[in-house]
Amino acid sequence: MKQNLWWGLLVALLLTCSISAFAQQKVGDQAPEFQATDSNGQTHKLSEYRGKFVVLEWHNNGCPYTRKHYESGNMQRLQKEWTARGVIWFTVISSAPGQQGFVTAQQENDYLKQMNGAPTAALLDPQGDVGRLYSAKTTPHMFVINPTGVLIYDGAIDSKATTDQADIATATNYVSQALEEAMAGKPVTTPTSRPYGCSVKYAH
Amino acid sequence: MLDRSVIRLVWFFSVGPVWLAPATLTSAQSPADQHVKVELISEQDAIVPHSKIWVGIRFDLQDEWHTYWVNPGDSGEPPRIEWELPLGFQAGAIQWPYPVRLSTPPFVDFGYEHQVLLIAAVQPSQALREGVSQRIEARVHYLVCRDVCIPGQKQLELTLPVKSRAVAGSDVQLFEATRRRLPQPAPESWKISAASLGDDFVLNLIIGGSAGAPQFFPSEEEQIENAAPQTATTIPGGFRLHLKKSKHLLKPLSRLRGVLVVGSGKAYRVDVPVLPSSRNVHAQS
Repeated sequence: MKQNLWWGLLVALLLTCSISAFAQQKVGDQAPEFQATDSNGQTHKLSEYRGKFVVLEWHNNGCPYTRKHYESGNMQRLQKEWTARGVIWFTVISSAPGQQGFVTAQQENDYLKQMNGAPTAALLDPQGDVGRLYSAKTTPHMFVINPTGVLIYDGAIDSKATTDQADIATATNYVSQALEEAMAGKPVTTPTSRPYGCSVKYAH
Repeated sequence: MLDRSVIRLVWFFSVGPVWLAPATLTSAQSPADQHVKVELISEQDAIVPHSKIWVGIRFDLQDEWHTYWVNPGDSGEPPRIEWELPLGFQAGAIQWPYPVRLSTPPFVDFGYEHQVLLIAAVQPSQALREGVSQRIEARVHYLVCRDVCIPGQKQLELTLPVKSRAVAGSDVQLFEATRRRLPQPAPESWKISAASLGDDFVLNLIIGGSAGAPQFFPSEEEQIENAAPQTATTIPGGFRLHLKKSKHLLKPLSRLRGVLVVGSGKAYRVDVPVLPSSRNVHAQS
């Protein structure tokens, strides 16, 4: 009897561990609800943005792949273009304290000012809760959620998985492609791709 | 007046060159150099007309730093090599030794630590005659990572004489060791098959025995969950590997391609059709 109890507890513990591990939502599923605080102290919940397209951009300002898109101005251009068209764009930083890319609210605001970043907000996720919820693997890793809350894109920012800025112009931008197609009521041609970049620096 | 001009001239010639020097000093260095040395080497000391010669890009990595396999896994980027060869020369495809699993939980990448040699066969021009030395060049783009990643780029060159006979170069043993790590075709006696089974693919290997700690490395991205453990179960005549499907796989997979590494450090190419779930497969598990 006692042995059964211990086994039961072990199974329960294992189940809990696997639930708090990476989520397995796929494109086509409802995007997981999250709540996070931005670099201006404001909290945001995904459900608040029902009725709008939402882009999640995982970010690490030291990663050469992130730098490719920021130093070229590419990411900022995308942020400006799409927020002007009513898209909610969240930059998400899931680097743990002490890891590359970790920033305080002030540091993130300074960075955005310096780089002319134009996301709707920068969500600070040092515990990695939002990252784990979405299984964010790399920086950048991009997600697009449609106005009914369905995940329509999960993957790389574009089709050329390099650190070379020269590749941006000739790459297919999967985020823009998904948004254009979905806004026109068309199916998304490339709903997933391998996200490329540096690994997200979660706490060990 | 004259004094001032002279002073200005003297100032310019003494200070000016100092401004110019730093640019030329750093142009050949990159931040990645601290952590990896990249060289172009050849197996033999000369090119022999009408015979192919094996060359390779050797990466010597600082402890704890790694670079990537052709499928890098969850993050990272494999090295890219652009050959610049004399007229009429052709380079074959890069041969990739089998990688190791590089685990930074919750991720798994596939790559190399310490040292790796990526080899390719170069076929000289038909018109090549003994005499004039030939220069082989390679532009290599690579990424080395530890907890952070640093991209690098090197322009490498190798000049070799053209002779009627060549002898093994000083790196021949590294070439031979590298060849032992290249995936080979599976033995004729083996029966390999794959099937889709719910959230997994199963890879059945009827090999007439067991294999210590088998590992499967997929050739293509987004098919298998790289970080999921690959459980092996015994089946008559061999074993079955359970490979968790990637959540990015939205359509059924028709073929499973990759490299199977068995405990003894031997690697085999796998390229099999994926059978849809069947009752037979269920009954065995």
